Amino acid sequence: MELLEPTREAFRLLLTGDAQLWYIILTSIWCSLAALLLISPPAIAVGFVIAKVTFPARRTLVVLIQALLSFPTVVVGLVLYMLLSRQGPLGFLRLLFTPEAMILGYMLIAFPVLVVFALAAVQGADPRVYETARGLGASRVHAALTTLFEVRFGVMAAVFNGFGRVVSEVGCSIMIGGNIAGLTRNIPTAIALETSKGEFAQGIALGCVLIVVAVGINAALAWAQGRGGLE
Amino acid sequence: MRLLVCFCLSMASAISCFAGDDVRLATTTSTENSGLLKVIVPLFESKYGGKVRVIAVGTGAALKLGENGDADVLLVHARPLEDKFMAAGFGSVRRDVMYNDFVIVGPKSDPAGVRNMRDIIAAMKKIAGSGAKFVSRGDESGTHQMEKRYWKEAGIGARGDWYLSAGQGMGQVLNMAAELAAYTLTDRATYAAYKYKTGLQVLVEGDPKMFNSYGVIAVNPQRHPGVNARGAVAFVDWITSAEAQRAIAGFTINGVQMFFPTASSRSSLSSILPLAAALERSVSAKGPTFFNRPSLVSRY
Amino acid sequence: MSDWLFAVEGLDKRFGDRVLFKDASLGLEAGSGYVLVGPNGSGKTTLLRIVAGLEPADGGRMALRAQSVRAPDYPESWRRDIVYVHQQPYLFRTSLQENLGYGLARRGLPPDDRRARVHDALKWAGLTASIKVPPDKLSSGEKQRVALARARVLGPTILLLDEPTANLDGVARKQVLDLLTELCIDNHTVVIASHDPEIIRLAILNRVRVSGQRITVDE
Repeated sequence: MELLEPTREAFRLLLTGDAQLWYIILTSIWCSLAALLLISPPAIAVGFVIAKVTFPARRTLVVLIQALLSFPTVVVGLVLYMLLSRQGPLGFLRLLFTPEAMILGYMLIAFPVLVVFALAAVQGADPRVYETARGLGASRVHAALTTLFEVRFGVMAAVFNGFGRVVSEVGCSIMIGGNIAGLTRNIPTAIALETSKGEFAQGIALGCVLIVVAVGINAALAWAQGRGGLE
Repeated sequence: MRLLVCFCLSMASAISCFAGDDVRLATTTSTENSGLLKVIVPLFESKYGGKVRVIAVGTGAALKLGENGDADVLLVHARPLEDKFMAAGFGSVRRDVMYNDFVIVGPKSDPAGVRNMRDIIAAMKKIAGSGAKFVSRGDESGTHQMEKRYWKEAGIGARGDWYLSAGQGMGQVLNMAAELAAYTLTDRATYAAYKYKTGLQVLVEGDPKMFNSYGVIAVNPQRHPGVNARGAVAFVDWITSAEAQRAIAGFTINGVQMFFPTASSRSSLSSILPLAAALERSVSAKGPTFFNRPSLVSRY
Repeated sequence: MSDWLFAVEGLDKRFGDRVLFKDASLGLEAGSGYVLVGPNGSGKTTLLRIVAGLEPADGGRMALRAQSVRAPDYPESWRRDIVYVHQQPYLFRTSLQENLGYGLARRGLPPDDRRARVHDALKWAGLTASIKVPPDKLSSGEKQRVALARARVLGPTILLLDEPTANLDGVARKQVLDLLTELCIDNHTVVIASHDPEIIRLAILNRVRVSGQRITVDE
């Protein structure tokens, strides 16, 4: 199978601003970033609370959330579909087959990832951090923020992980978005389409584009992280 | 003791040779969704004495599997692509098998007003002009190729907010059409078999241009020595045999026949003819057609 | 309770089956220094943490000036007045200045004012030369000095120090002892838990014995 030519062609389209390809890329980036921006604060907060606060059934909750990590994204898509469909309780919102619905799906998928990683990061924090902050007069919220800042690498890892999980997923995107050209088609669903057409090399070329985009975004985040504080 | 083991092993391998290796059949998702294969494949398997592995993918992917030698025999319905496949030497033999037909389905309310129209091209023009939504397969499948041919003949460049190119299988596209109260082109069998299509009805049918012809192709073993050529040819021979053709005709959904056998004499390699003309000939030559049977709209 | 700056009365505290305090009391006078002495595990650290609001008491009352609460309540406003320093203090993973200015920033002090106070604090701790050093690279003695300065710069009503010279010896210990002496002389109200004989011997500190579930002030 000839791989070099389709890959070269894919990057040529990328660099010459081919509208179709760029629309696919921007849909991927926009939906994934928007979802993460929206779900990160609540998810990280939940992770923090579970790590720091003892309450009944805490361990059960942790087990449940960790189990959600193994949940196939296509099932998330199916459940969301049942809710958003005309026949479903939220059908009146007419959200099905829109980018907004995909963002909603991504938020659900990223949530357990973010919680579990944030939880681990906070549990790994020095127990004196929170108390030191409180001892110096910080409010509970601010002491929490300071703690998260101290384990910021773990928290960033949580966000990177969440981003990776949603920008590469197909099952939910196709069910909820519908892979509609120019509207809800992102890179992974486009790859699925090319594969079903037998255009395997095209699929791989798009995959390479996705990797380049992902590297770019992660590099930008790492750069911002480095500028933000001392290593 | 060792002699006994060797004897048993050689008998076992001889029997398995006799019984036949797996036949990998690549076909389209529409064909699989119709349920036809679930009925006829077991008939072949008992004759052949081996298993058939059905790989249902998009039309393009099915042909690609044949090109790569990852499938032994193909059952698809995209005549121009099949001809290209044969011309390139990827297949050793091709035969007509059957045809079914496409229909236009849409919302009960029929905003474009195409119900009961007999001219598919005029109906497509009307849908495009009405502003109602149309969902396309958008995946170079057999259905999509048909749809593109209609737009071309109607002189319409299908794009805009009303035209949704979904890039998915027929089932999902029907789903989408039901959800969005849109029109779409579908093969009758997939539509009949599909459960989740509330609100859709068959609105346009019967135009000879909507007939969809299926071909079976045995992958050329000279290109890929690893293919099960024996099994492939056995399948081709069987599916064009009188027994199989009867089984195909006997396959019904809700009591309605879905597929119409077209295997002619046992000569290999069909000639390349424009689709509509070939189908018109076979339609007028054979038995019940969609012209002279009662309207099926009310059934759905 | 009215003369005391801070008082705790009828204090109960237990960890599981172990009773640490039963009906214990302590009063702190403004401007006085106290050193908590007692055997290991007697509750010196726990007492400091209860006063700091890091550990809830099981029973009793506490009062800061005129405000009195019943355990386990602890008013948020008290955290502005009462500052606690860990035995091995934690410095945030940021610059020295950010560490020193942390409490000031939480109290809403604008950056310019903060800068001046932080600079003074650095000088007081004798660490102006180490200004560029990442906090986790400092020695234990230096960290303790930063922590003391970080607490002092807030002008706390009550300063609670847990074993400030534990794990220190030689020059480092001397430097921290000097700072401690300054804190006590400066008319702060300081409570130090320690078994360092040099701290216990400091004349200006009142000795408070913590043992046997009770708290007693030595005369």
